[in-house]
Amino acid sequence: MANITRRQFTAGAAAAGAASFSITNAEAQNFGGNELIEAARKEGKFVYYTADFTEPEQEVIKAFNKRFPFVRVELVRAPGGQLITRIKTEAAAGKLSADAVNHSDRGLMQGIADLFQDYTPPNAKDYRDDVLVSPKLWPRSTLGWSIAYNTELEKNPPKSWMDLCKPEYGPKKIGQVIAPSGGTTWTRIMFERQVLGEDYWEKQAKTQPVLFPSGAPTSDAMVRGEISIAVVLYNIAYIKKRDGAPVEAIFPPEGVPLNYYAAGVAKTAANPNAAKLFLNWCMSDEGQAFQIKELGYLTALKKPPLNPPGWDPKVIKTWAPNFEQYVKLRDQWIEEWNKVYGYRQ
Amino acid sequence: MTAETAALVAPREAGRRISFGWLWSGALLVLLTFLVIYPVAMLVLGALTNTNPVVDGFGIYDLSLKNFITVLGNPNVHFALANSLIACGGGTLLAVIIGLTFSWVVVRTNTPCKRFIAAVSMIPLFVPPLVAAVAWSILASPKTGLLNTMIKWVGIDFRFDVYTMGGLIAIFGIYYAPYVYMFTASALRNMDPALEEAAEISGATPVRILFTVTFPLIAPAIISGMLLSFIVMLGIYGIPAVLGAPGDIPVLTTYIFKLTNWSPPLYSTAASVAIILMIVTGFLVFLQQKVVSGRSYITVAGKAFRPGVMNLGPWRYLTLSLAVIYLIVVVVLPTLALIVAAFRKFLFIRSVESLFDLKQYSLIHFERLFDNPLAVRSIWNTMEVGLITAVFGGILAFAIGYTVHRTNAAGRRSIDVISTLPVAIPGLVIGVAYLWAWIGLPGGLYGTIWILALAFIARFMPDTIKALSTSLLQIHKELEEASWICGKGLLGTIRTIVLPLARPGVIAAMTLLFILAIRELGSSLFLYTSNTMVMAVLLLDYYEGGNVGITSAFSLVQTLLLAVLIGIAHFLSRGGADTSVGRAG
Repeated sequence: MANITRRQFTAGAAAAGAASFSITNAEAQNFGGNELIEAARKEGKFVYYTADFTEPEQEVIKAFNKRFPFVRVELVRAPGGQLITRIKTEAAAGKLSADAVNHSDRGLMQGIADLFQDYTPPNAKDYRDDVLVSPKLWPRSTLGWSIAYNTELEKNPPKSWMDLCKPEYGPKKIGQVIAPSGGTTWTRIMFERQVLGEDYWEKQAKTQPVLFPSGAPTSDAMVRGEISIAVVLYNIAYIKKRDGAPVEAIFPPEGVPLNYYAAGVAKTAANPNAAKLFLNWCMSDEGQAFQIKELGYLTALKKPPLNPPGWDPKVIKTWAPNFEQYVKLRDQWIEEWNKVYGYRQ
Repeated sequence: MTAETAALVAPREAGRRISFGWLWSGALLVLLTFLVIYPVAMLVLGALTNTNPVVDGFGIYDLSLKNFITVLGNPNVHFALANSLIACGGGTLLAVIIGLTFSWVVVRTNTPCKRFIAAVSMIPLFVPPLVAAVAWSILASPKTGLLNTMIKWVGIDFRFDVYTMGGLIAIFGIYYAPYVYMFTASALRNMDPALEEAAEISGATPVRILFTVTFPLIAPAIISGMLLSFIVMLGIYGIPAVLGAPGDIPVLTTYIFKLTNWSPPLYSTAASVAIILMIVTGFLVFLQQKVVSGRSYITVAGKAFRPGVMNLGPWRYLTLSLAVIYLIVVVVLPTLALIVAAFRKFLFIRSVESLFDLKQYSLIHFERLFDNPLAVRSIWNTMEVGLITAVFGGILAFAIGYTVHRTNAAGRRSIDVISTLPVAIPGLVIGVAYLWAWIGLPGGLYGTIWILALAFIARFMPDTIKALSTSLLQIHKELEEASWICGKGLLGTIRTIVLPLARPGVIAAMTLLFILAIRELGSSLFLYTSNTMVMAVLLLDYYEGGNVGITSAFSLVQTLLLAVLIGIAHFLSRGGADTSVGRAG
């Protein structure tokens, strides 16, 4: 057999790529229409800033690329605070390289909403109005809090938020993420005080939980057995369980605090069509279903395409913060939380 | 040329030399202003104005000391500062004991396998701090550390716990000993043994000679190594982040990181804390200069000698076994821990039997790692940025070191002071300072590898210059004077006399710079883009993502790469070391 040249190989690979891309007109409408898809194909790539973790983002990108193999996603992941600084500084210098941004803190994103262009996903009307902070920013990711535990170590796991105050789950058995770690944790501690009671923090702190800077090391410590119970976002525990770790996670009956991300397309985007196509896919029923099924996310769609295991919409009460209070109470309450939990800020 | 014309030409020649000196110093000062003063000014401005200077413009009129006063009165800052000083002080003490012991063993004793010990003494230098800390948390976390699982299995009632101040000090000490080793080994190798011989003839015991003659003679090298290791520890984020967080031991760097990481981030406060760190370090630098100044430490002169080697008798096997134990603690155990974590599906190890259950192992973490196109790109980017930093940083450091230590050029004191400044700025904050300072510059520096390289060159300039200066200070001026008398010009003398003599130092400094650049995390955090992602940032991403498996897999890849690169660098610098031995003989 004759050896193929590099050019022949490239041409063959491109043909194979094109062949693997097939989409009906009706489907195309779900993602913004053929015109947008063609424009995105021409751009071929876009730069995506996110505050979500690298691993689940990589899986989302992979699934998107199964649908649209011709758009390369260049990922920049940074924790919330750093990401905002990067965006603000780049934008001020006229060098914002992000085409699309996905951020965990809606409050901070609202403050820089003028950096984003008008963008509405095709299924905008299917989303809950009460979680939108700007018509330009959309809840691509929705995360819910849960109680997770190591099944090898915890034979009598807690079943509710109130159980976490019982002395049998202490000392140093429960892992907690510190309140000032970001918008997601702030949402949770707000829920604890407003729903579970003014004295919930004090009761819970008495079990002497181990404090972690963020959710990821908390769940890792739980899998390794450093702690046996972890208050973490459901998706972090879900991925570990999916991959076979000795982990189980429950949605407590008193309520599940939810954190909605804010995602948008930058005004200065060099590849706005590719960015929009990506966000359209993420926001579509297909994209949301993928995130729920494979990654343990929740959704801000009025009618969820499906529910994560253990999620019964008739039983589970979701809780979202009043946005005004979310901004106003933050500093004072976090300071009080730090005092109660003996966390030095 | 007659004697008369020579007399007429001499003043003109001297005048030209002076104006060249001014020009040279001026050029260096401009460069240093761009690399150091301008970013530091932005940092101070940020700390004083409570704004991001790029976003909000220069709010000069809102200058206020509010941040400083708040920070100074904050008991948590006091606590973090005290922890930093205790951890780094204890770590430095341990590093000096280890580094000095091994340099003495390698250079001045007849311990077998000295090349092996020399290599072992330098190995920790290429272990990124985050990797070392992750490995040790796998080994010695109190409940499920592999070491603890093992000793529990054996039936010993003792548990290691690295999540304590003692653990932090131990890990700092063992991983930063090479800084002390590097300085003291080259000083011991290059020192004139005449005084030791005199002491020996006078009847002093070997131990007494060691403590009253040898170590005092190499005091500048010990102090330099000590100071550098202390300062580097002070700026390290990875180790206290992994080991200090579970035990609630905040240090200044983790505190600063927290400030930059909150939403909204408190950069002004972070900058204020950083300025406290700068003041502490500045004081140490001042102290070191006080100690070193006014004493002559010239030990390399135009005479041939070879320092004596002590016959340890049967004790030489004890010194060898010390090196083997060090190797096990620093390399073997952590690497084994990383291998277990990288290949094991989950790091939940119930018992020793479960540790050896092969069903628990797979390649999944490596597959996921290389599934990410950023992983391979980050490796290439890191190599590129490391090489650029080492070459350009090395040249700049030599130019500065030579100007400061070997010439009378105007402004050399200022050059010295400015080039030492970055030592006091932690990487995390320097990253913000560079971002603020350079993003607005025309020419598109932002988003390229060069902005990272420039940041690393500036950040590690003091380390590189210090590493170089030790070897420059040891070359007696008489060698250069001899060259001038023989008619060589300044550049000719540098090329034929100074560079060959300082070659081991220059190569060591460039190697150090390369390694530091490859491992650097803090200042990269704000300067990378999707195209210029480096390994250290991606590793932190994985660590923060809570996947010890992928973090360990990537750590192993990095360790392997660094080992290969170190091998190449060692091969190159061994040529240098051989030259120095040849010169000495």
